[in-house]
Amino acid sequence: MNGRITTLNRLQRGIVPLVLLAVFALSPLVLKQYALILLTNTFMYIILAVSWSMFSGPTGYISLAPAAFFGAGVYTSAVLGFALPFPLIVITGGLASFCMAFLVGALTLRLRGIYFVMFTFGLVELLLNFVLWWEVTVTGTTGRVVPPLGNTTVFYFMLAILACLLLTAFRLKHSKYGFALQSIGQGEEAAAHTGIHVTALKMNTFALSAFFMGAAGVVMATRWTYIDPRIAFNPTLSFLPVLMAIFGGLGQLYGPIIGAAIFTYLEEFLITRFPYHYMLIFGITMVIAIRYLPDGLVGLVQKAWKQWSRRKHGAAQG
Amino acid sequence: MEEYGRKLPVELKRYDDKSDIGTMANLIEKLILEDKVDFLFPPWGTAWLFAAAPIANKYGYILIGGPGGALKLKQIDLPYFFQVLNFSDTQAPALAEIFEEVGVKTAAVVYRGDLHGIEYGEAMVPFFEERGIEVKMKKSYPPGIKDMSSLLKEADGLNVDAFVAACYPDGGMMLTSQSMELGINFNAFFMTVLPFSPSLFKGTFGERGVEGVMGGGAWNAKTSPGARDLVDKFVNLFGEEPDYWGGLYYWASLQHFRQAIEKAGTLDQKKIRDIMASERFDTALGPYWYDEDRYFVNHPGEIGQWQKGVFEVIDVGEKRTAPPLYPKPPWPKKK
Repeated sequence: MNGRITTLNRLQRGIVPLVLLAVFALSPLVLKQYALILLTNTFMYIILAVSWSMFSGPTGYISLAPAAFFGAGVYTSAVLGFALPFPLIVITGGLASFCMAFLVGALTLRLRGIYFVMFTFGLVELLLNFVLWWEVTVTGTTGRVVPPLGNTTVFYFMLAILACLLLTAFRLKHSKYGFALQSIGQGEEAAAHTGIHVTALKMNTFALSAFFMGAAGVVMATRWTYIDPRIAFNPTLSFLPVLMAIFGGLGQLYGPIIGAAIFTYLEEFLITRFPYHYMLIFGITMVIAIRYLPDGLVGLVQKAWKQWSRRKHGAAQG
Repeated sequence: MEEYGRKLPVELKRYDDKSDIGTMANLIEKLILEDKVDFLFPPWGTAWLFAAAPIANKYGYILIGGPGGALKLKQIDLPYFFQVLNFSDTQAPALAEIFEEVGVKTAAVVYRGDLHGIEYGEAMVPFFEERGIEVKMKKSYPPGIKDMSSLLKEADGLNVDAFVAACYPDGGMMLTSQSMELGINFNAFFMTVLPFSPSLFKGTFGERGVEGVMGGGAWNAKTSPGARDLVDKFVNLFGEEPDYWGGLYYWASLQHFRQAIEKAGTLDQKKIRDIMASERFDTALGPYWYDEDRYFVNHPGEIGQWQKGVFEVIDVGEKRTAPPLYPKPPWPKKK
């Protein structure tokens, strides 16, 4: 009996994402071109926010390096151009970011708290200036033209990366490694004493999260068509995913998804309706959200749900 | 508008791209796909223009590239893109010619490490050398730099005649104010993007402060009757002078655009494009046309120099409105 319920649960749990995936996969048939572009953009932010929270959520290591890993992907796209079939470039970009994150992780994951934050942010500037120097002195240019792809192609690649990421993040969260990461966040020494290989686990997860950021960078570069180091390594892309994830709530996988989706929509709405005040409104919204929603939107919903079910429960008893 | 039998009212839609390429790319497609605008005007800056041109071209929208430009755009086939502003390929030889005329023997070149800076920095050196001007120093600086004094001191130490900077206004302001503070004065002081702006440059350092400084451009009220008319109208409307680089270029390109639309008598981009690419129309700066690469060629001037509050065109040849002032007078003494 019990066994049947869990299988059923598992089936149900599997069906919802599959249905969603199918809906999104078919959406280019019905959606207008611009809606598709917006959706692609939303997917990009969701990828950044979810892959960021995959590592930083459980461990509590706040990384400000997303822009570095994303930028590495962007540059891979620009350098390889049409030299390889596009799916291979996406994987190459992801791997470039993976390797970079692995190396950086090996050097810095010993650092804690503010030192780690500072180093990861420094990495963005370091890469930016290194690529700038390289392009100026070695190749003698800074701008690179990326061969453009159609909007629908870009959409499908982004969707594919997102689907892989969500599957990976879900599997990770519910595996023994996910629990191990959680325990690192709660007490790193204690985790090490229970036999968890703390450093290896941190490095691998950090690198894995970077893979998806890099892959997203490769795809997004084809929409931008022209890039230079300042465009590729844009510090905003380090802060936004963090804000989005915190805004949505870090406890659940869907927190960063909701956060990123709302953020992207809010930005699009404000920038087109209130072009001169949108930064102000955006800022105020953020302050209010952080002040009154310490656990993010998901936390708010969970709290409301608890209250509602308690009341219902109470009413039934009474 | 012939096709509609009447004048059409124009509604202007503007979006702020936060100086972010991704946002800009989205917003351009929003203008085309969602707002379904009839005509598109470009974002500001070379890099943004670079990213916008392929998108506009993809949808068959005419894009008149006002602010910004780079030779590299010629490498991409963009039939709907029209380049208005002059850049390194005509300005670098013009500057070298002026330097040779006034007797510059040695130069220091500094340039911003971005598309604009590198293109100009690289372009100028061979033209200088061709005319026997020795380039004793050639250095790039990172965008966002906070101190230029070491570059200035190095050039001063090399005792060069001319200091040449391919910079943006932020770097240019710093170069000017730090030269003044350090009391370093070169016989020729040239900056690409900044001197042409009367409000920012002359307004900050004053007429005496900018005396003798050379810059990319260039035109002034003496260039043509249409140019004088533009200056008068602009001053009347905004209470300050227009910029003396792009101002007349853009104005004339719009007059050309307008006549092309009127002649086409339709809003069809393809028909208007074909007329723009082939026809010559009279504008404020005189006859205006594009070459086979759709680059505007009849520039009112390449290099300007502040002389007694006027941004004079000092190009060798008939565009010149005043002979170059050389050597540049010393910076005004601080009180």
